[in-house]
Amino acid sequence: MATMTPRMKAWLEKFGAHIGTATKQGYPTTIVVEQASITGDGVVAFNLTPAQANQIKDNIAQNPYVALAPHAIASIRAAYQFKGPAALSGNTLQVTVKEIYCTKPGPEAALRLDVLPLEHIVKFEESRWRDSGPPK
Amino acid sequence: MKLSSEMIAALRAGGEKDVVTYLTTSSVSGKCNLYLQPYTDVYREEFIISPDLFAQKTKININENRVGLMTVAHPVKGSLWAFRGPCNIIQWGHPPKFAFHGVTAGEALEKWGDWSKLEPYDTVAEDLRPKAVGQRGVIVLKVEEVYNLSPASSGARIS
Repeated sequence: MATMTPRMKAWLEKFGAHIGTATKQGYPTTIVVEQASITGDGVVAFNLTPAQANQIKDNIAQNPYVALAPHAIASIRAAYQFKGPAALSGNTLQVTVKEIYCTKPGPEAALRLDVLPLEHIVKFEESRWRDSGPPK
Repeated sequence: MKLSSEMIAALRAGGEKDVVTYLTTSSVSGKCNLYLQPYTDVYREEFIISPDLFAQKTKININENRVGLMTVAHPVKGSLWAFRGPCNIIQWGHPPKFAFHGVTAGEALEKWGDWSKLEPYDTVAEDLRPKAVGQRGVIVLKVEEVYNLSPASSGARIS
């Protein structure tokens, strides 16, 4: 499992994410969930509506690897992408984050962060953003 | 399919909403990537055009699996749509007659090949402003279906 920083967790929990899924052959479907909860270093849970669960259940069954990107104002202020395997149980989607990327437009887009020591990731964040999470 | 006037207003370059979007693509084996895209425009009411600014994984995915899905990330009020269809990158170096679903490289690169002619890059939020601009081409998404992203009706086809 990758280790998410407090900043990543705070933005993702408050604003949720666009969740990209695909069939085994790569046909994509994205849903938007406006809140998340995070346990441990990087397990992200989303409470889906029945319509959202129904929309992605076949994709998750055949290809559980998903991608998450922060929703709403967090797309601007917290340009990260998270990837990992997901499990759908009832209306709860749980994603174990295995990869973390910076998606800030420009030359740092696609920079992989989870391969760095945690203190280096935090330094990277501090050098690029002034906040440690969304406003309370 | 034709986009509605409301959708076009949201996605048009220099429009009043200035939306930020994600373009979801996938490898042929099903690994997704969401590309953050703060610049979009609409062509012939059915193509969503955006600049290729360091879209590295998107390019790899599109080279093997020409499907894209664009969602609006911000602002979302009244814009909870997903646009899906064939997607390609028309790149500098493609011959002018190279065409993707009727959009030629000549016309695409002339109109959108230098995005700063349409709208200055610094019109977007400072956090999204590229520190260096190296536009390598134009991403073309032909919208064939639009579905609803609102929580209660997620996945319902709009058209």
